[in-house]
Amino acid sequence: MKVILLKDTDGKDREGLFHDKVLDALQKEGISDKWKLVRVVDIGIYNRGVALKILPAGFTYTDLTEEDIPGIVRKSIKEGKEIKEKISSVKDKQVKIVLRNCGVIDPENIESYLETGGYQGLKKVLFEYKPEESIEELKISGLRGRGGGGFPLWMKWNFARKTRSDEKYVICNGDEGDPGAYMDRSVLEGDPHSVLEGMLVAGYLVGAQKGYFYIRAEYPLAISRVQKAVDDAQEYGLLGNNILGSDFSFSIEIRLGAGAFVCGEETALIASIEGKRGYPSPRPPYPSVKGLWGRPTVINNVETLANVPVIFTKGGKWFSKIGSPTSKGTKVFALTGKIKNSGLVEVPMGITLREIIYDIGGGMLNSYDIKAVQTGGPSGGVISKEHLDTPVDYENLQKLGSIMGSGGMIVIDESDCMVDLAKFYMNFCVDESCGKCAPCRIGTTQMLEYLDSISKGKASQEDIAKLKKIAAAVKKASLCGLGQTAPNPVLSTLRYFEEEYLEHIRDKKCRAGKCKELLEYTIIQEKCRRCSLCFRNCPVSAISGNNKEGFVIDNEKCIKCGNCFEVCKFEAISRG
Amino acid sequence: MPKLTKDNLEAYAKKAAAHKVKDVIRVGMSTCGIAAGAEEVYEVLKNEVRQRNLGIEIQKCGCSGKCYAEPLVEVIVKDLPAVVYGKVDKTFALAIVDRHVINGELLNDHIFDVQEANGDEK
Amino acid sequence: MITANINGIPVKVRRGTTILDAAKKINIKIPVLCKHPDLDSTAACGICVVKNAGSGKFLRACCTPIEEGMNITTHDNELHEVRKTVIELILSNHPNDCLQCARNNNCELQKLAADFGIREYPFHQLKKGLQPDYSTKIINLVADKCILCGRCINVCQNIQNVWALSFLDRGIKTRISAAGDINLADSPCIKCGQCSAHCPTGAIAEYDETEKTWKALYDPDKYCVVQIAPAVRVAIGEAFGYPEGENLTGKLYAALRKLGFKAVFDTSFGADLTVMEEATEFIQRFVHKKGPLPLITSCCPSWVDFMEKYYSDMIEHFSTAKSPQAMVGVLSKTYYAEQNNIDPSKIFMVSIMPCTAKKYEITRSEEMFASGYQDIDVSLTTRELSRMIKQAGIDFVGLEDGKPDHILGDYTGAGVIFGATGGVMEAALRTAHYYITGENAGIMDFESVRGLKGVKETTVEIDGNSIKVAIAHGIGNVEYVLNKIQKAIAERKEIPYHFVEVMACPGGCVGGGGQPYGVTDKLRISRSQGLYLDDEKQDFHYAHENPYIKKLYNDFLGKPLSEKSHKLLHTFYNPRPLYRK
Repeated sequence: MKVILLKDTDGKDREGLFHDKVLDALQKEGISDKWKLVRVVDIGIYNRGVALKILPAGFTYTDLTEEDIPGIVRKSIKEGKEIKEKISSVKDKQVKIVLRNCGVIDPENIESYLETGGYQGLKKVLFEYKPEESIEELKISGLRGRGGGGFPLWMKWNFARKTRSDEKYVICNGDEGDPGAYMDRSVLEGDPHSVLEGMLVAGYLVGAQKGYFYIRAEYPLAISRVQKAVDDAQEYGLLGNNILGSDFSFSIEIRLGAGAFVCGEETALIASIEGKRGYPSPRPPYPSVKGLWGRPTVINNVETLANVPVIFTKGGKWFSKIGSPTSKGTKVFALTGKIKNSGLVEVPMGITLREIIYDIGGGMLNSYDIKAVQTGGPSGGVISKEHLDTPVDYENLQKLGSIMGSGGMIVIDESDCMVDLAKFYMNFCVDESCGKCAPCRIGTTQMLEYLDSISKGKASQEDIAKLKKIAAAVKKASLCGLGQTAPNPVLSTLRYFEEEYLEHIRDKKCRAGKCKELLEYTIIQEKCRRCSLCFRNCPVSAISGNNKEGFVIDNEKCIKCGNCFEVCKFEAISRG
Repeated sequence: MPKLTKDNLEAYAKKAAAHKVKDVIRVGMSTCGIAAGAEEVYEVLKNEVRQRNLGIEIQKCGCSGKCYAEPLVEVIVKDLPAVVYGKVDKTFALAIVDRHVINGELLNDHIFDVQEANGDEK
Repeated sequence: MITANINGIPVKVRRGTTILDAAKKINIKIPVLCKHPDLDSTAACGICVVKNAGSGKFLRACCTPIEEGMNITTHDNELHEVRKTVIELILSNHPNDCLQCARNNNCELQKLAADFGIREYPFHQLKKGLQPDYSTKIINLVADKCILCGRCINVCQNIQNVWALSFLDRGIKTRISAAGDINLADSPCIKCGQCSAHCPTGAIAEYDETEKTWKALYDPDKYCVVQIAPAVRVAIGEAFGYPEGENLTGKLYAALRKLGFKAVFDTSFGADLTVMEEATEFIQRFVHKKGPLPLITSCCPSWVDFMEKYYSDMIEHFSTAKSPQAMVGVLSKTYYAEQNNIDPSKIFMVSIMPCTAKKYEITRSEEMFASGYQDIDVSLTTRELSRMIKQAGIDFVGLEDGKPDHILGDYTGAGVIFGATGGVMEAALRTAHYYITGENAGIMDFESVRGLKGVKETTVEIDGNSIKVAIAHGIGNVEYVLNKIQKAIAERKEIPYHFVEVMACPGGCVGGGGQPYGVTDKLRISRSQGLYLDDEKQDFHYAHENPYIKKLYNDFLGKPLSEKSHKLLHTFYNPRPLYRK
């Protein structure tokens, strides 16, 4: 299987000259019947000129000139030698642990999972390790909760393990609610058994016999695939009594969410399963001591559980070698926004944002410069472009005023407005606030009012101080994580982009052109053909003039509806 | 279906270690893929392969992360590396069967990933 | 025991004590809003936040157990700023029209705003724009004023087990309402008023009928008479600065006359009468086997409503005797009118009750018109009376003790203890003892029925008869008792009780929905104590010895359960739907 991959990574070779060059060279060397040359869309390298990869040897060359081609074809392709000076240093930075089977196995077929070594982790835990040894293995691995809390997994399970109770429960939190985050959905749809296996390990180690999958109702495919996995596992004796012939019995029920982001919060999730209103409860007591039906309950995120089997098959020590000193293992990010390759990426903790965006994400989507990266969804903040070389882990992101969260990572460019971003997330929090506690219920609504008036140019200078005052109260006095983190996007954007806020307030300008009410519409006299179409279509008669002398827009009367801009056939109206 | 024991789980482990990958076409069928049109592609591939008696299995798979390139179709046939085609539509699906599966050709300007076919995972 | 520090002061408390309670022990008052001593914490308002050294996180003092070695700060600049901001946020979503509110001068939110020195509304005023629900004409739900503390829901669902109230919608749109977004009048609501008794603001208040009363008092054509319930006399003092539980019976009589009532009666007399009728009923069933046991008391109209809605299959167990108020009411327009030559059509009968449900009782069924007119025209709560006294310019504290009209106003100790949980049972047992043995029991013989335990079960021995009794207060405690009875009947086993007393309000009527605000167990106990002390100092302690009761039977009724008694003093019950329409 001798294959040559060719990619013009910065799009400059419009005529496809290099393809022909390589073909010629192959012909000259007399090997064109032995090698397949193919132009690929993605070679895993970005913005490094023309790149070429030779398989099966794996030699990759970048920044090639036309003159380089004959030499490469002869030495590296025909003679199979590496040309050290030209070889590319770019390596694939993704490490697929959680997503190990996604895109590889058939998620609807348990055999597919078994054939890749599935349930071997459970086997080890049941038959080869003592429970204390398993907990120790998890401790060595350093795995922390991937739902956003970052709490050490071994500790949470140990609390539940040590609490005496007639019944205990394991819950998988599949209520992924952050806008733009869909890592958990992909794992549930692509490799549901890995999560099931994680739950079984949890159940055995804490002493639970019943597990719940709590999946948001908006994920019907995930629900049906998990149900199939549960049914198949039951049939194969991996659920039910005496699993794999041990004395461990476990059963799983699937429960659906009903459209409430707050039910991703542990105690609200528990209330939801108990049939009550999805209101959080004060902690302590923590669920691992007193949770579902008042019993010790461990609640874990989908991604966390998917990591567990691998820790046992490959060892906690192996896992701990990946990642940063405080944050071990990998993290799956939903990389979206103004990025070329938007999708899921799984990277070791400690990788920098720059590497994620440029070496994996393919760089910015269009010609606007990068402005910031938003992480952690509505609970997170923005990281301005000055900090792109920060290694990504729990502690570092927190220092910068953001959080890891569940893994949402949104790339923001100069055409995005930070006030608009803060407003978007605050709107989400207002919508999703359960309403139980006054600080969150009223505080977020008030903050949204202020953000709205800032975005409309109707705010005054004191409004920023008021925003900060309310943010402090909401952050400190809210009952649960939703409220406590709701002010983060505002505080973070204020920290790095206060000037943009001031522009909205003082100058009534939105530099990104996003805040509609601050856009000014002007007729470009040189382009204007005086056809009067705009004049006739203005709903508030803000345009005056005539066919002879031309037309002018009165910005005081203008309501920024954009009608004139839309109807003008000559692009003679400017907006900004 | 007799229930699994720890011993016959071993058999699966051995099979996993041997890891011979036979000819297969995998279609990304998570929500991202389906939203981009993967269900249609899956049906077209299944029909085409059946009609032409090709004996190659069409499998569903999950989301590999390259959501921007869905629908994704991975083609593994002998003597060629595992190739992932992206942004596949009905027409291109037929071309894949015709030219890649049957003719052993690699199709220009549609490939998003290439790996060694015996599953050297990263 | 846990040892910890609060504001640098060491404190030692039992494990499980909240930071709030631990602080109280060392005289530190952490501000609260949504927390009520009766109820489990909902942790909703965020005012009681405190800090523990070594963590930037705030903890809610009302529900966080204090732990060994904690170093709590309850007051500092940051905490103060946050608390003040939270109050300002709550006020930004509140009508702030105190001057026309039912809780003006008596509101927990108002007090908090005053203590924190609120002088401006810094944020946008967010109007709720919710419609009030006056449908019951007894309890008004003014959802606009609700601060969503959750107390009413907690009481209605968990303490009273009625489940009429609920939160609807979410986020900033959350509101209280009858569950299912219907009118309160169409819901299972039993009008017990515990919701209003626990509400910190004017969101739930009684339907005020003082105007109606003033109108009657000033109408030259009307002959206004009044009766006053046992539980009122030991609670009214709280509106005038008296210590808890002080018995102000004499001053009340005087005040009522000053208000313009031409006759002042006492519901305790009615209570004595109820004892006569009900004890006789009990003897009929227990001794003469003429009727199913247990006999269950029915003087509490909330309880009657609950039973008609939720347990209508047990109607035959209910005493058909009317409540004391209803008895005095009907007699005022028949017996009293006859004896004093007054045209009953001109009599306007007002009752002062610790209760909101009494407003419902007075038109509950046609037996409430047994006199030929509406027996009781208006039922006012203790709170409404205290306002009327103030409006009339009466110097309550300076009043000389007055006297009632003896004919329907003189009472025994048995009658006045009706206001405490267990009181009805105790009074009835005293008379039952006499009916069975011919002798009076000691007045403390049935002491075991007193106290705040939710369900009190005891057996009393009367002349070789073991009478098993149960007393439940707070409707949430009734389920246990009724289930036990129903189970025994279904399995044809021996019934667990012969006589059952139920009061809908925790503590009995002293903790009624119409009493002055701020009820706690401490208040329930002091008010009950006031009643028991009144019993001790009375000339008579047994209903059957009340000379005016004897006179009433002699001259008018004949004897207990006579035809005339049945016509005037008894009522019927019917199953009612939980949800109307």
